[in-house]
Amino acid sequence: MSTTTATTSLSRRLTRVPRRPRLVGAEFLKLRKRRGLVLSTLALTVVPMIIAYTVLLILHAANPAKYGPAGGLENFSGSMELLSQLGIVAAILVGATLGAGDQSSGVFRELVVTGRSRLALLAARVPAGLGLVLTAVGAAFALTAGASTVFAGSSDIPGAGLLVSSAAWLALVTGLALVLALGVSSALGSRGTTIGILLGWQLIAMPLLLQFGALGSLREGLLEAATQRLEPAKLFEGGVTVPMSLTAALAVIAAWIVVPLALGAWRTCTRDA
Amino acid sequence: MNIDAGTNIVETSGLTKRFGARVAVDAVDLHVPRGSAFGYLGPNGAGKTTLIRMLLGLTGASAGTMRLLGRPVPAERSAALARVGAIVEEPRFHGHLTGRENLTVIAAARGPEAHGRIEGALARVGLARRADERVKRYSLGMRQRLGVARSLLADPELLILDEPTNGLDPAGIHEFRAMIRGFVAEGRTVLLSSHLLDEVEKICDEVAIVDHGRVVMQGSIADLAAGGEQTILIATSDEERAVALLAEHRAVASATAAAEGIRVRFHPDVDAEPAADDIGRRLVLAGLAIRRFEPARASLEQRFLEITSRLEEAA
Repeated sequence: MSTTTATTSLSRRLTRVPRRPRLVGAEFLKLRKRRGLVLSTLALTVVPMIIAYTVLLILHAANPAKYGPAGGLENFSGSMELLSQLGIVAAILVGATLGAGDQSSGVFRELVVTGRSRLALLAARVPAGLGLVLTAVGAAFALTAGASTVFAGSSDIPGAGLLVSSAAWLALVTGLALVLALGVSSALGSRGTTIGILLGWQLIAMPLLLQFGALGSLREGLLEAATQRLEPAKLFEGGVTVPMSLTAALAVIAAWIVVPLALGAWRTCTRDA
Repeated sequence: MNIDAGTNIVETSGLTKRFGARVAVDAVDLHVPRGSAFGYLGPNGAGKTTLIRMLLGLTGASAGTMRLLGRPVPAERSAALARVGAIVEEPRFHGHLTGRENLTVIAAARGPEAHGRIEGALARVGLARRADERVKRYSLGMRQRLGVARSLLADPELLILDEPTNGLDPAGIHEFRAMIRGFVAEGRTVLLSSHLLDEVEKICDEVAIVDHGRVVMQGSIADLAAGGEQTILIATSDEERAVALLAEHRAVASATAAAEGIRVRFHPDVDAEPAADDIGRRLVLAGLAIRRFEPARASLEQRFLEITSRLEEAA
């Protein structure tokens, strides 16, 4: 390769590199400027943890004989269960807004007119959405982990390994909910419909199906069954678990990422703008 | 800007769009010369917006071919649209973002060089001082101007404006016209779709008249207007006698008194110039004082109505 070619190639690479982050940055800007959405996300993640530990602290202070310390492993486990459910709801709100926001405001047309690939426009939404959801969920998790350690008193505290695996698992379930919502709303083009469908699925249909033993191994195809397979053992004891291999769980998770995104991408690329 | 002169910036051939059995755009062959203000004129529902949407890749064509800036579309759509700015129908924005932020979003899609054009574009459309207000507080006129600013982020060789003055007040319309002529003066091409004859006539150099999805006539405004009926206006000291004299003239199809004088329409096969000379001589010889004697220039509106009424009669 000649010097000129190498310089040209490097220069092209350098000019290309910032384009994707700019697009991601633009998507993130659209999200973070939606005050209602940001407040809802915080209200579903950070605020419940603040309230939960404040109540636990007050109860413990008022009657230490009846109520144990606010922190500790047991309360951490309970907080994580709550946070994972609320985090999923927050992720659905964010994902649905991301997927349908441009379409409903009419700006999708203006973006298409730039000549930019529709697929690139869709792809930029994933990291932007994860940026908002994981920041909020991460802050809530930090609060939970800190409170469960600082206010543990004589109780067992969650170990470093559990904290790391719990954080990773929380990021996984909320990230998956975001991708699912993004894909569905990109396909449907409607934020409200997506939120309705996914909340109904996530909070009502899927838990019911998980408990419906007659479905047998078909339940392995449910996202929650796969994510339960990966959750830290010390966190959720006694929940319904569908026995499945790690490989099967990973395959199911991959399918729940690929299929909704593929549907969303297909619709984004084919719809009239 | 680097603009090649002398070629068509938009070319379509047999471009067709069907919605089920309905044909919205019917085998359109369009040639928009570079560096001109080109009007795409037709009544509402004639298929103007659909054609623009196909050019911009917002919807697919059912048949035919298109070239934008010499590039085939949709095959090289991305490269072609990199130097195209457009406002399709009412410009849309994220209302919760400021004007500047809305431009940032579009600049991110266009590439790094577009970011450097944001301030200049805002200044050019007179929105620099209000750029940090949320767009949901903008008036329609401000949104239109922001739409133009957004189009300028591409440093466009071609600006496609679909009914750009809809909803603007007279001052806004005047300002908009001046802006468009300014773009043309810079060597850019403006393709303006409108149902307003007056607007197209005042802004554009060339025009295509479209009706029921078909281009029924295309050319310069002057040529199209000249292709209409041959008419002269005469004012004399005795209109009654003049009308009687004119009615006897072989070349005259009709002579009718109007507020501005007598409108004399020649037969289509008559050479108007010698006929007008002869009429002038006869009026003078008859002892009439001539106060006005001039060709009545057919407006684009008259021509448009002639064309569309002929089509309606033929239908």
